[in-house]
Amino acid sequence: MLSLPQMEIAAIQTHGLTRRFGALTAVEDVTLSVAPGQFFGFLGPNGAGKSTTIKMLTGLLEPSAGTMSILGQPFVAGALDLKRQIGVVPEGMALIGRLTAPEYLRFVGRMYGLDRDTVNRRTEDLLQFMQLDNERRKLVTDFSHGMQKKLALAAAVIHGPKVLFLDEPFEGVDAVASGMLKTMLQGMIQRGATIFLTTHVLEIVERLCSHVAIIHQGRLVANGSIEDLRAGVASSLPGTEGNQRLTLEEIFLSIVGANGQEPAQELSWLT
Amino acid sequence: MADLGAMGKDGQMEAGAGPFSRLARAQYAALGAMRWWMVRSGLRSIHGVLDLGATGISLMIYSFMGLGLGIGLGVGAFFIASHETWRLLLIEFWIVCIVWQTVPLALASFERQFDMSGLLRFPVNFSAYFLLYVIFGLLDISTILGGMCCLGIWSGIALARPGMAGWTALALAVFAFFNILLVRAIFAWVDRWLAQRRTREIVSALFLLVVLSLQLLNPAVHQTRHSGPGSHDDQLERYHQVESEAGPLLKTATAVQRWLPPGLAGSAVRQAAEQRRGPALGMLGVLGLYVLAAGAALAARLKAEYRGENLGEAPSRKKTEKRDDGWLLDGAGPVAAVMEKELRTLLRSMPLLYALGAPVLMVFIVGSLFRNGAASHPFQLALPVCVAYGLLGFSRLIYNNLGAEGAGIQMLFLSPTPMRTVLLAKNLFHALLYGLSALIAGVLASLRLGWPPSATVVGVTVAWLLFALPVNLAAGNIFSLTMPYRVNPGRMTRQGGSAGSALLSMVVQMIALGVGGAVFGLCILIGKLWLTIPILLAMAVAAVFAWVQVLRKSDALANQHKDTLLATLSRTE
Repeated sequence: MLSLPQMEIAAIQTHGLTRRFGALTAVEDVTLSVAPGQFFGFLGPNGAGKSTTIKMLTGLLEPSAGTMSILGQPFVAGALDLKRQIGVVPEGMALIGRLTAPEYLRFVGRMYGLDRDTVNRRTEDLLQFMQLDNERRKLVTDFSHGMQKKLALAAAVIHGPKVLFLDEPFEGVDAVASGMLKTMLQGMIQRGATIFLTTHVLEIVERLCSHVAIIHQGRLVANGSIEDLRAGVASSLPGTEGNQRLTLEEIFLSIVGANGQEPAQELSWLT
Repeated sequence: MADLGAMGKDGQMEAGAGPFSRLARAQYAALGAMRWWMVRSGLRSIHGVLDLGATGISLMIYSFMGLGLGIGLGVGAFFIASHETWRLLLIEFWIVCIVWQTVPLALASFERQFDMSGLLRFPVNFSAYFLLYVIFGLLDISTILGGMCCLGIWSGIALARPGMAGWTALALAVFAFFNILLVRAIFAWVDRWLAQRRTREIVSALFLLVVLSLQLLNPAVHQTRHSGPGSHDDQLERYHQVESEAGPLLKTATAVQRWLPPGLAGSAVRQAAEQRRGPALGMLGVLGLYVLAAGAALAARLKAEYRGENLGEAPSRKKTEKRDDGWLLDGAGPVAAVMEKELRTLLRSMPLLYALGAPVLMVFIVGSLFRNGAASHPFQLALPVCVAYGLLGFSRLIYNNLGAEGAGIQMLFLSPTPMRTVLLAKNLFHALLYGLSALIAGVLASLRLGWPPSATVVGVTVAWLLFALPVNLAAGNIFSLTMPYRVNPGRMTRQGGSAGSALLSMVVQMIALGVGGAVFGLCILIGKLWLTIPILLAMAVAAVFAWVQVLRKSDALANQHKDTLLATLSRTE
């Protein structure tokens, strides 16, 4: 597994992070480090514990055990100053349906303590950038899923966070907007922000992320740069030649798919 | 893995038509099982157990209320049947109808309703959907009260005239069915009208028009009655004058009401009692037509829903170009932000506005009830009672103040704003709103009961308000964090609910009212009404202290119940 240089303060650091729901352990003993300025992909099949992990990292869920720190500070309930440094697009998008997009962005900006001019200026910038400018009088509840995603992303960055957590941000977003968002996120990375991304679209992870962790059945099963993972998987796969470049999907499937699962039974009654 | 292949295409039931097709029956069974599983799953948490217990207690309370009404109407029906004064039976049927149709409006805040529209993704045929809509929630307050009233009337008549038991049961059954359909049709249509701006404006205008009409009618009717004392001859003369003026109107009203459902049901029983079976059947037939009409009104609404209507309010292109940069409340702080958000949400939610405004309007409409007979001496507690009644409309807002956040609750937890600040902003907003509402209710009540009101009564009212408001806000914050339920601010009906929260909020409100009343009563007893004010003010100080303590602990409480809050409020159904 990849580790950070000794002196560098991790943007995100967890140690033994665990979450249990009754008898079920959704996330078990997850230990990882994300360096500042890293675009980090957090992958896993459905129900693996991705969203649970992201909820714990953003304070939406109390860990049952383990510690975590953001930007070198322990992240506990009530760490309000730390919350100013992070932006989140959570699983449920955190939108308020009875507000319009500008109202919602202004509300979020004020909740993060931005002054009036900054809130107004950034709201306009974000509405234009997200191409929501023409829908400024429409209630959020009447937005399409893709528009809601764009608004959620706009709200997550309005306060200029240093660490951004994105749970499936590209789901339902059209190709044009998706390209735009990728450019925006890469720009944030270039300016020193850290992004923690979960998505099922592996092509996006392959294109954007420098480092990847894979969680399966609540446990971290891989963690490192994509090149490291590629090399590791290539060496363990029989018949794979050294110079053959595996895709992230192949890496993912070889790590997760081959983990004791039988091939899917064919459903003959489906037309 | 099960041999899914063996099930094959033939495993599907025929869609079939009608509400009792094989598929429909299987779906009812599935829904019944689902409800049972939900109850069973709910019992896994303390919150679920409490909620179930509260539902049972609520049902008992409503049943007792219904029992009281039913016994009253039953005794009345017994005497009507015994003395053959069947004309008076109409009054009983009208009482039942009014109770059945108005109680859900008055007690909507305390009731959990079911939203069936989620079933439309399944192959449910329309008649099955209609039937489910009618059947689900039959154990609501109005049906319990109405059902008890009908049972009371039936018992009274059956005891006095056993031979009339069958006819009375038939008339009451048709009448009850009409009421069930009508109340659902009204709610379904009100929801539709309030969903879009244009229809909302029309309904609001009509509503205000009706209220104003009632106001114009009321003084006209009372003009002579309250014109002051006079000799017996004067009073007799005035009575004859009113009778001659209002007589034709009353005759018309009496004739018309006989063809309305309560009148028809009452007349059918009366005709049967007088051995005129043919006319009795005819009356029931006409009542049956009303049942069909109410059913058709409900079906028309549900049909549109079934077809997948979209009630979204897409703005026009022209309006889209206009920019709205205005801040309603200045100040960059989170308190101003939350208050502005609350205000915007409230202004866009007609159901909430109606809920807040209805008690105030009711004060204006029924204010004259507080006058003692023909004399112009209003009931001494009328002003505080009117102001306290206004607080009822705030129940859902105060006792579930996070309910309308939906997925936005995540934002509140993600932001660096502590929950106590959010609750403080909400409390301030609700207190301001209630202050305004109480002021309007107070002014309206005073206008109806005589202006200016006694300074002591005003003082008592304000002192009680200063005590009751923080009590309600403190309890509301606790219930909002521990027993939240999701609310759709765009809907008047088919809202979720928490029986525990509803029951406890009712208890708190009753206690606040009871304590105020007890202090008032004791001070009157010792002849020192003014003493009520310092006592209530001292209690208000204690209440404010309690409210501050709750606010201080609200972060810990929110953190403790974070999982429940997020799961309950941000779930999609």
